Amino acid sequence: MSVHPEGHRQAEPVAPEERTIFAMGGGGFTMELSNPLLDDFVLSLARAREPRILFLPTASGDTAPQINAFKARFSGRTCTAEHLSLFRLRETRRSLGEIVAEQDILYVGGGSMRNLLAIWRAHGLDALLVQAWERGAVLAGLSAGAMCWFQWGLTRSSGPPEPIEGLGLLAGSLTVHADGEPERLPVWLAHLRDGTMPGGWALDDGVGLVFHGDVLDRVVSSRPGTEALRVDAIAGELVRRRIQPELLGSRAGDPLGGYDDAVEELRRVHRLRRGTGRRRG
Amino acid sequence: MASRVPQIVALGGGGFSMEREGSLLDDYILSLLGAARPRVCFLPTASGDADHYVVRFYRRFSPGCEASHVSLFRRDQGTGGVEDDLAAHLLSQDLIYVGGGNMVSMLGAWRAHGLDSILRRAWRRGVVMCGPSAGSLCWFEQALSAFHGAPRPVRGLGLLPYSNCVHYDAEPARREEYHRAVADGMSPGFAVEDGVGLHFRGTRLERVVSSRADGRAFFVQRRGAGVREAPLEAEPLGAGELPAAVRPLRRRAASRAAA
Repeated sequence: MSVHPEGHRQAEPVAPEERTIFAMGGGGFTMELSNPLLDDFVLSLARAREPRILFLPTASGDTAPQINAFKARFSGRTCTAEHLSLFRLRETRRSLGEIVAEQDILYVGGGSMRNLLAIWRAHGLDALLVQAWERGAVLAGLSAGAMCWFQWGLTRSSGPPEPIEGLGLLAGSLTVHADGEPERLPVWLAHLRDGTMPGGWALDDGVGLVFHGDVLDRVVSSRPGTEALRVDAIAGELVRRRIQPELLGSRAGDPLGGYDDAVEELRRVHRLRRGTGRRRG
Repeated sequence: MASRVPQIVALGGGGFSMEREGSLLDDYILSLLGAARPRVCFLPTASGDADHYVVRFYRRFSPGCEASHVSLFRRDQGTGGVEDDLAAHLLSQDLIYVGGGNMVSMLGAWRAHGLDSILRRAWRRGVVMCGPSAGSLCWFEQALSAFHGAPRPVRGLGLLPYSNCVHYDAEPARREEYHRAVADGMSPGFAVEDGVGLHFRGTRLERVVSSRADGRAFFVQRRGAGVREAPLEAEPLGAGELPAAVRPLRRRAASRAAA
């Protein structure tokens, strides 16, 4: 296996505020085939100039369409992209620990959150991902791959939406596809009201939350007209706060446009970075 | 349905997923069921519920059986096969066919959906269990897993108090690895080549059958500082001569060394 050219990866834990999680309500390469804004944003979160990104399609059962979409999205970008299958028996003798330890970004796909966590635990991968986060690797994901980082998520793994405990790296609860699967929201709100789930976030497709440590740093979106909803139960009342995300790739004063230009600009930036070898600030 | 003996047919590899249509091993398993149109449920969990695997199952079994499958990954999309009461469905089957893939992932997902205890109950009630590869390993106390890193013993459901090693002929290092694991304290158990099936009644090995003339299986146990590998007598399943009665395998070891 090749050693990463930059050799900057740290084995030591970083300060809590340098630990990054990017949780998407939906979107990215599995859901937005012609819109790379969220995925480019994911790459920009890594501290490495040319990050190593590992896709974990576990929650879908490692489906070929997800893996192919990942390759299609990231193969032409400034990164080293690989996926990790926990089902397909590839000829690998590298341990999961070795594979995870060399990554800058771990990107978790959507699917069944119940299966995702159970399978990770069966392989001991949950603990490896927590270690990766603690040493400064970016944990990213959508849907099940976003909810898994929180204390609680709302899964449809057995059909109807129901609460499920996550890994608990982030406080509170998360529900996803707030616009795409509207049947989730009333179930989530009912559980917040009766106290079975802590307050948290409902994210539309395309919306992502950036956490540094446990502090929400940015709310971004790949789609205009989307929002993040924060809900807390205070003295039995649900208190709602709507947050307008920053639209990725938009130019000031032009919130609906500028998408193609943004892609071109990102490509130019990538080319430039590759050319000069300059590190991101 | 009354007082059926628990039965498992553990395949080292083979069956509809690996052999040509009309696998003799699948025919042998069906011959155990004693039902004109048996109820057969497929669990493709170890493959991540791969679509192509599910399709091949239906192609093979829907002509003569009441075929169904349970997907643990597509239950939110209405394409999970059986949707409602998994326990009632699985307990009413004649045969549960577990597909190959990754055993550790499969057992993790099974436990998350309570399938491990349902399958244990189904086995005790006499629902025949079978499968190749991961679908064999899972019934044993321990299995040799060669996935991500050095091969190591992993725990199965433990219905059969032995260890198991599959695809024994497929990889040159497999035999040595299994011997080392047993010498290091893994339970004694069965090493099985592709195309060979171990038929257990209760926890007792009843027969060894093979869809190939030269298919082999072995019982491996610790002996001194090393291991003893005893060949088992495998009966080739010839076309047209399916076993009418189950003939107990009495001479387990030795007679035909390396067929």
